[in-house]
Amino acid sequence: MQKVISVKKLIKKYRDLTAVDGISFDVNRGEIFGLLGENGAGKTTTLEMIEGLRRPTSGKIEVLGCDIIEHRDAVKEKIGVQLQSSAYYGFLTLKEILELFASFYAKNIPAAELLKMVDLEKKANSYIGSLSGGQRQRFSIVASLVNDPEVVFLDEPTTGLDPIARRNLWDLISKIKNQGKTVILTTHYMEEAEILCDRVAIMESGKILVMDETHKLIEAAKFPFTISFIRKNINQKTLADLGKLAVVENIFGKENKYVLKIKNQKNMNLALKLVQSLKPESLTVGRATLEDLFIELTGKRVEE
Amino acid sequence: MWKLFVSDLKMLVRNRQSLFWVLFFPLMFTFIFGLFFGKNNTVGTIAVINKSNTQIASGVVSSLDQSKIFKIQTEDNLDTAKDEIKRGVTSAVVYIPEGFGALDPSSNKQIEIVYDPGSQVYTTISGVVGQYLTAVNYQLQNSKPILTSTLQPVTDRKLTYFDFVLAGVLGLALMQSSVIGIGVSMAQYREEKILKRITTTPVKSWKFILAEVLSRLVINLVQIAIILIVGKYLFGAHIYGNIIIVIPVALTGAFLFQLVGFVVASFSKTADAAQGMATAVTIPMMFLAGVFFPIDSLPHWLYLIVQYLPLAPLLRIIRGVMLQSSSPFLEPKNSIILISWIVVALIVSIYKFKLSDE
Repeated sequence: MQKVISVKKLIKKYRDLTAVDGISFDVNRGEIFGLLGENGAGKTTTLEMIEGLRRPTSGKIEVLGCDIIEHRDAVKEKIGVQLQSSAYYGFLTLKEILELFASFYAKNIPAAELLKMVDLEKKANSYIGSLSGGQRQRFSIVASLVNDPEVVFLDEPTTGLDPIARRNLWDLISKIKNQGKTVILTTHYMEEAEILCDRVAIMESGKILVMDETHKLIEAAKFPFTISFIRKNINQKTLADLGKLAVVENIFGKENKYVLKIKNQKNMNLALKLVQSLKPESLTVGRATLEDLFIELTGKRVEE
Repeated sequence: MWKLFVSDLKMLVRNRQSLFWVLFFPLMFTFIFGLFFGKNNTVGTIAVINKSNTQIASGVVSSLDQSKIFKIQTEDNLDTAKDEIKRGVTSAVVYIPEGFGALDPSSNKQIEIVYDPGSQVYTTISGVVGQYLTAVNYQLQNSKPILTSTLQPVTDRKLTYFDFVLAGVLGLALMQSSVIGIGVSMAQYREEKILKRITTTPVKSWKFILAEVLSRLVINLVQIAIILIVGKYLFGAHIYGNIIIVIPVALTGAFLFQLVGFVVASFSKTADAAQGMATAVTIPMMFLAGVFFPIDSLPHWLYLIVQYLPLAPLLRIIRGVMLQSSSPFLEPKNSIILISWIVVALIVSIYKFKLSDE
């Protein structure tokens, strides 16, 4: 596999704060690579160092085979960047903004084609102020494609969007991948990373805790299986029996709702039989999510 | 860079808020001062009550009328006229009693001027009336004045206070629109991460800034043209200098104030902060750098300081060129102050104004 980004022992220090603490990773051509973590974990700082916007304190970054510090302008020609919550000019139309940004690059894609890609052709002559949150974000992503980049950086592309707008963006990001581009994104939505990313790295306090293909990470979780069910008046003995097979959680203090976290297939089968014998009102069998893994690793809830 | 320049120009024209500072604000001053001090102006309305039918009495009235300094309103009743002063409709009443000027010993010999102490107009009225009556007195006594004085202007050019203020308003407009325009828009671009977004592209920072500066200079040119056209053709301002020289001088000033705008943007984190800082920079200059009155009428110690404010030498040069048609380099001190400010602001902007965070 061809490496498009290579990061080695990257460190970024601000006075007494170490924002990025000696991380190394590679991104392969054509994949969607996700940097996950809470706010302040160092995701954006890492991304901005790769984009050439911030200078690393130490470490080496290569993008498309070029050292980012020595060949910053050459790299900028070939990458597309969507910044976290960045705005665009308020008094230019969408078409004008795209044409303006296109003029900064040697290679570029016509504005009409880009707008069509995100269903904003009708808004070509509108100002950005007239767009909804989802449309704005779609525009912001497509504006990072004006130079037909080989690598696209998306910093929290779906933060603050409603579920439908978010799914819309997932489609767009898959489309970008299907064009053969490499995408590197940050998010704090585990669900999003699970659906979109081929590989993820989970960051905390400037370090990478784990990194692997998304499904492998989930399978390697301590409790890969879950059963959740709703049942009134469970006696203490049954709970104790379940406790031998699984970790029993009483979700958010809801009296009747239980979640079992299970380590292996054998215990899973036994626990399932036991729960079925209770004739619960509702029963769901599933596997762990990236979120479970994240909580397991960091010992916190994601929303915290 | 052409594309950036054109885009910047479009945005400047489309942004109503910036257009306010660029055009409306200076035009407002031009109109206000033009209406007060431009051509055909009067200092106020006065009421005249003439109860006498003598030639001398009507001579007083016509001398007031011909002075063209006041608007004359003819009244009948002294009490009503006094009421009008109190209501602010007029600022004085000239009351000519019955029989005034009849020249018989028992006739009334005094004109009464009732005035509003809040208005300075009475000194002018008593001057006009006094001058007329003095002439009549000499005539009646068959004598001539022995000691007189004459007035001789330094040039035979006619200059009015409005001409002085128009040059001031020109400088004010360039200062306001440049300092506030650049300061606020750059701080806003930083706050909204537009500057950062620009740095993700290969475009060079200097091209981005140059396009911004050039597009604003084009707008400044429109500003200068509109102010001078309105001043000259609507309010009869006298412009003796060559416009071809006024324009580059004014644009040099605009360039200096744009640099000040970049300095403001360098030191303010948000657009609101930039707005505050820009106001703090421009308002004192508006009053202390000689926009509305000559600064040598300020207390001496204050004058020693304010003559070095960036707007002050600019206005001195613009007035020299516009009103005296002298060379912009007539007084080297002005050019030196102006260029020094440009150098200082340029150095601070280069070191402090950054598109990126690092």
